[in-house]
Amino acid sequence: MLRTEEILSTIEMLHAEHLDVRTVTMALNVDDCAAAGIGHLCRKLHDKILSHASRLVAVCDKIGVKYGIPVTNKRLAISPVTHILAGHGRKTAVEVARTLDQAAAECGVDLVGGFTALVHKGATPTDRIVMEALPEVLSTTSRVCSSVNVASRKTGINMDAIGQLGHIVLDIARATEKQNGFGCAKLVIFSNIPEDNPFMAGAYMGGGEAEATVNIGVSGPGVVCSALRRRIDRGQDLTLGDLAEEIKLTSFRVTRVGELIGREVAAELGVPFGIVDLSLAPTPEIGDSVGEIIRTLGIDHVGAPGSTAAVAMLNDAVKKGGAFASSSVGGMSGLFIPVSEDSCLAEAVAKGHLVLEKLEAMTSVCSVGLDMIAVPGDTAPETIAAIIADEMAIGVINNKTTAVRLIPVPGAKAGDFVEFGGLFGSATIIDVRNNGASKAFVDFGGRIPAPIQSLGN
Amino acid sequence: MGGNWGIKTTPVDRSPVRGQEPTESGKTRSEYSSTTMSQPQSSHAYVLNVMSDDHPGIVSAVTNAICSLGGNITACSQTVVGGYFTLIIVATFPEAVETEALKASVEGPDQDVTGFQVSVRRCEAPGSQAAEPLEQFVVTAFGKDKPGIIRRFAQYLADKDINITDLFGDRSGDDFVLIAQVQVPPHWSITMIQADLEEMGNEEGFTVRFQHENVFVATNQLRLAHSHGK
Repeated sequence: MLRTEEILSTIEMLHAEHLDVRTVTMALNVDDCAAAGIGHLCRKLHDKILSHASRLVAVCDKIGVKYGIPVTNKRLAISPVTHILAGHGRKTAVEVARTLDQAAAECGVDLVGGFTALVHKGATPTDRIVMEALPEVLSTTSRVCSSVNVASRKTGINMDAIGQLGHIVLDIARATEKQNGFGCAKLVIFSNIPEDNPFMAGAYMGGGEAEATVNIGVSGPGVVCSALRRRIDRGQDLTLGDLAEEIKLTSFRVTRVGELIGREVAAELGVPFGIVDLSLAPTPEIGDSVGEIIRTLGIDHVGAPGSTAAVAMLNDAVKKGGAFASSSVGGMSGLFIPVSEDSCLAEAVAKGHLVLEKLEAMTSVCSVGLDMIAVPGDTAPETIAAIIADEMAIGVINNKTTAVRLIPVPGAKAGDFVEFGGLFGSATIIDVRNNGASKAFVDFGGRIPAPIQSLGN
Repeated sequence: MGGNWGIKTTPVDRSPVRGQEPTESGKTRSEYSSTTMSQPQSSHAYVLNVMSDDHPGIVSAVTNAICSLGGNITACSQTVVGGYFTLIIVATFPEAVETEALKASVEGPDQDVTGFQVSVRRCEAPGSQAAEPLEQFVVTAFGKDKPGIIRRFAQYLADKDINITDLFGDRSGDDFVLIAQVQVPPHWSITMIQADLEEMGNEEGFTVRFQHENVFVATNQLRLAHSHGK
């Protein structure tokens, strides 16, 4: 029998602090949809997605009702689209993207990931076609998300691909100029891309996975923040160790919710359960902010000295709690700091407390990277490439996933305000110093070799 | 608070052994039971209910009386609410005993001294257990207290043959919190029950939720929750 206080504390976590399952993402291998003709390929792709995912939304809603926990987003992630595009040209790539968009709409999911190229050591002609099609794809579809892996611990950093992406990111921004360059919010550039990540825009289905799986993304910055506040309010002589313990315990409980929902959704759909990704992923809603947690830990302004240490502690405690809660933890499982999607981080940028360089430092200890950062529209392509390269270097050297999602806003300058809407939030354009000063470095191209695995200092 | 819930006996109690545990309202509850002892194993089995104002030594006095008659306690559970103690015990005896004699023994020679109110009845033969495991759900309701709240929800649950296996209610100031753990027959739609309870809550000014117990198990206990997939 459950104890009364157990029931009350869960009710508080679920309802007063708005814990939700952020995303249920069905990962689906579509490699067998390959075909010589465009029409045949697209029909097979459409039908396969519908046959596997048409019940996804209804099942998620049913399970959500049973436990009283909303599943906020239902999404799809496919195996890299390059696999079915081999031998095809750009026209087919765009048609496939539109088919994905249509199939996702018919399934009732808001985003589909997997328009993906893995080029961490080199690019095939199909990889290049996919990357070059991105401005058209991301400006003419609404649900398709893309990711490009340009670096890994074992291969180093593909600077040729990064140099090309510097231009492509600006092209996407120009192609979606009327939406303030919003197309760039649907492209994530990775090092060490996770193969089972359920969070968008970077979700895709990696190799070595089953035909279809269900991966769960659980969030809950508000829950963690409330738990910390309660602990601080009632505790005396607290140390950061005590607060880390509180974060760990809360993460355990949140992860368990994800595991519970994920296993049941997978069972109902008749596919294996993949992983639960416990990441503190903020939304623009008040009370759902990672920045607020950092402030609760005693950093008055996010970006002030101590911010990196606070993020490191938070990230580690989240992982520890999640790892104990479930044997199937995967994806990112850590802390996201997407600037426009977090009201507190966006405010810190607007007030000048948080600058690009400090964000970069914080990403060396968080779970993702430079995420949802609006930069001036006239940022040089080589500078965008160099920012990507810096972030990839952090991932490669530290053997972790890092990612970049920059949004050059056409016509906007540092200090301007831009609104993306919905979950993507709003942001002040961040100042990019030394614009254009990295051109010669990027122009060298080639590949930065993989790092040495010994002499770890 | 409340009214009459019409609580039924728990056919299957999966409680672990626990000691006295203070609740948030300062009340205590302890339970000692298991799946194998929910029904008496002997034909000379009796169920005793003891009520008293709460003070140290009640369990000692009651169990001493039972032991003196050669009895063996096979299941027991106690609750303290509002300063009043209740204890329910199933005990078996090697020979049949008179219920009045057992009652008198537990009450003691001078009831004015012990203050125990005791009722005793002979246990019936074990009833048939449910053929299939029932899903456990938790009803929670929060709102301003007024008479008849518990009765209204209880009548709804009883009409649907939904068994209440554990009940907690507490008034704090004007606010009342109600928690009922219930077993739901598999033929009912969870969505419909949820909608009915929420609507009832709206009419009474209560926030009512109806959630599968696994979410509470998953977030509070080390063991992983398992569902029958309802």
